[in-house]
Amino acid sequence: MKVAANSLELRASRLWQSLGAVAQTALVLLVVSGISFLFLKLSPGDPVALMLGSDFSRDSYDQLYRNLGLDRPWLQQYFHWLSRFVLGEWGSSYVSKQDIFELAVLQALPVTLTLAALSLLVALAVGIPLGVLAAIKRNSWMDILASAIAIGGNAFPSFYLGVVLIWIFSVAFGWFPSMGYVSPWSDPLGGLWHLALPALTLGAWYVGLIATVTRSSLLEVLEQPYMAAARARGEPEWRVIWVHGMRNVLMPLVTIIGLQLGGMLRGAVMTEVVFTLPGLGMMITNAVQTREYLVVQAGIMITALLFIAVNLLVDRTYTILDPRLRKK
Amino acid sequence: MSEIDHKASLAAVLSARFARRDLLKSAGAGLGLMAASAIGMGSAIAAPKKGGTLTLAWVEAIDTLDPHLTSSAGSIKIINNVFNGLLKVDYDGKKVSFAPDLAEKWDMPDEKTHIFKLRAGVKFHNGDPCDAQAVKWSLERVKSPALKSPHAWKLELLESIDILDPLTVRLRFKKPFAFLPVALTGSTGRAGTIVSKRAVEAAGAGFGRAPVGTGPFKLTGWKENDSIELARNPAYFEPGLPHLDRVVIRLIKEPSAAVAAMMSGQVDGLSVCPFQFIPQLRKNPNIQVFGQVEGNYSFVGMNNKRAPFNDPILRQAVAFAIDRKVIVEQSYFGEAIPAYTCISPPMTQFYDPNIAKTGRGQYFDLAKARALRAKSKVQGEIEPSYIVTDGFTGSGGLGTRNAQLIAPMLAQIGIKPKIELVDRAIWVQRRNAGDFDMYDEAWVADLDPDETITPEWSTGRPWNFVGYSNPKFDQAVAAASETTNLATRRKHYTEAEDLLMTDAPLAVLAHMKVFKILSKKVQGFEYVPADLLNLHTVSLA
Repeated sequence: MKVAANSLELRASRLWQSLGAVAQTALVLLVVSGISFLFLKLSPGDPVALMLGSDFSRDSYDQLYRNLGLDRPWLQQYFHWLSRFVLGEWGSSYVSKQDIFELAVLQALPVTLTLAALSLLVALAVGIPLGVLAAIKRNSWMDILASAIAIGGNAFPSFYLGVVLIWIFSVAFGWFPSMGYVSPWSDPLGGLWHLALPALTLGAWYVGLIATVTRSSLLEVLEQPYMAAARARGEPEWRVIWVHGMRNVLMPLVTIIGLQLGGMLRGAVMTEVVFTLPGLGMMITNAVQTREYLVVQAGIMITALLFIAVNLLVDRTYTILDPRLRKK
Repeated sequence: MSEIDHKASLAAVLSARFARRDLLKSAGAGLGLMAASAIGMGSAIAAPKKGGTLTLAWVEAIDTLDPHLTSSAGSIKIINNVFNGLLKVDYDGKKVSFAPDLAEKWDMPDEKTHIFKLRAGVKFHNGDPCDAQAVKWSLERVKSPALKSPHAWKLELLESIDILDPLTVRLRFKKPFAFLPVALTGSTGRAGTIVSKRAVEAAGAGFGRAPVGTGPFKLTGWKENDSIELARNPAYFEPGLPHLDRVVIRLIKEPSAAVAAMMSGQVDGLSVCPFQFIPQLRKNPNIQVFGQVEGNYSFVGMNNKRAPFNDPILRQAVAFAIDRKVIVEQSYFGEAIPAYTCISPPMTQFYDPNIAKTGRGQYFDLAKARALRAKSKVQGEIEPSYIVTDGFTGSGGLGTRNAQLIAPMLAQIGIKPKIELVDRAIWVQRRNAGDFDMYDEAWVADLDPDETITPEWSTGRPWNFVGYSNPKFDQAVAAASETTNLATRRKHYTEAEDLLMTDAPLAVLAHMKVFKILSKKVQGFEYVPADLLNLHTVSLA
């Protein structure tokens, strides 16, 4: 019976943990929404003046201003927005009158998630082998080359890399399209073909990070006694590295990937603009330019939620990657 | 009445049309070919191919496709393919004129009364007839205070609209109104674009995303931040047109990405193109570059309301210190001409091609600039603020290029501007609030002096951001707009322009080319120097 009581206790504590996570998430989102709202209001520029162009009269300006509810006190605007936002009523765009929930969650978010996922795949597929190679051939010319590629990918601004890739692979060779989004979920080949250059552009930034972390962690792991033990058991070298070694590299790798998600979302903004992908980054860029407060706000909230979700996911992954953590 | 310019040009265009029709008929060609043979473009066309999808890249922002509410050049180019005006802009390769579009016949029993006989059988995309009732409703919509149309001022003098019969409307104006032909085009005027009443009432505020007109194409899709799709209107009133089945408009914000898409053949055309890419595109054998100096001018505006530029002598010094040749070569890559006044070449009846020799207007004369500076109120070195933005406009997304060329020129007369490159939203806010000493601007896509200088520089008008005021100027432009006599109008505009250039609320810089880039496989495009991309005559090879 002792065991059962223990497991009940464990379940209760997990429930508390989950509730705690939800409460924390809600609190973080609330703070993010308040700060971003304030910053948007403080930023100079006026959506109504931009909408009316040069042709406006004072009269039409005032009316539009009132229609958009911009004449009310900030705090009232904020709570009005918040009370509707939590119910999924995100309002409609000033200019296009499109429903923002539909625009942000149903149209833009899937594009960005798909791009990010593909970029991550590219980065892992290139970064891990590069890091492993650099670690096992430490201080050789291969190590230097791998480090150069890693640092180069990290240092090259994704905006510029995107343009360079377009000029080489779209304009000069004509192998890949330079623009437009085709969903790989509905058209796998066409989708991957259209996302190849954007994923490479965004992934390049991550390659450096992943390769560097893989190299340094693997170097540490290589010194561990269990590696020597594995070799002593006569296991083949590839198994020693890829099974015993890499398993222990995964923890720092997952941590860094989760921590750097912000960087990836930032890169996604640039990449989406260069390759004309209608994702969150494009949506936020356009909305900032026209001071579409509600759209920017929605974009920020989704980004924050993504960030929190990935971090929670990383926490969960730890216990899967390292069973020892489950007991603690 | 012998000198009424728009009626005369109307007659000329009509007779040219009829002559061509007879010619082609006798040659046994079809009606479609008649309509497709481009005026002035001259590219020899075999029978244009039917069907196909044209993919274009749009660099400019699109605010709304409601013609009565838009103020974006990017929108107007699409609107002009979806809607028609009573009149349209026509171009014979040399001269801009106003030709009938939805109107078939245009009579002026007196200077204040215009009678339009409409084409019979024209239908909106939703099947509703486009008749006198529809025209009346549309014009009233523009004027209605509830809509707050930015184009309402163009119909301010319109007193009454009477339906004489189902296809005839009579417009009565309070005064003779010289600007009318421009106001009634579907493109640059926008006030004369006819919209479907039923569609407007059904869509409400959403009409800008679900436009219904009478044009050669109808809107079939709009993916936010991605693309807009148009499809052939099979019931379009010009027989045999349009040729294309579909038009896909890719919304590419980044100009270099759009040019790359063009060079790699992913799109068949660009709605407009920044100057820096033109040399490269001209060299490409698969690409045709359309572009002439259009109805525009770029300038540096100086804030008349506060020191130091409340001093006309100092403003004149600036106007004479700027070397326009350098600006044209380095900022516009040679794709512009120096401006002496605001009136530009497409305004053929008002523009003087020999203005350089007359001594009129503003031009580079450093000695004169120095002499004026020596007489200005503020002596010693000054550091005025100079706001610029890198937003893409009809003037070509110059960013700081003009400002960086002008700053060292002004330094020679002791003016050292502090250039501030700001986000477009901030630039608009500061411009509208008059929070600047100098600012960069260009007025584009104008076809008549009345729209190119009157709302921009008359006292208290909303585009007069520098706060310029000279009652003599106001009187001159008002007098010019209230007569249809060409000689009288020309006299008033010459006077107004001379006042404006001498008072120098602006230093005028250049008249610029505006480009349309098309692949060689695109045929039958009729170029019009009013920043338009009309696709009804276009076909694919």
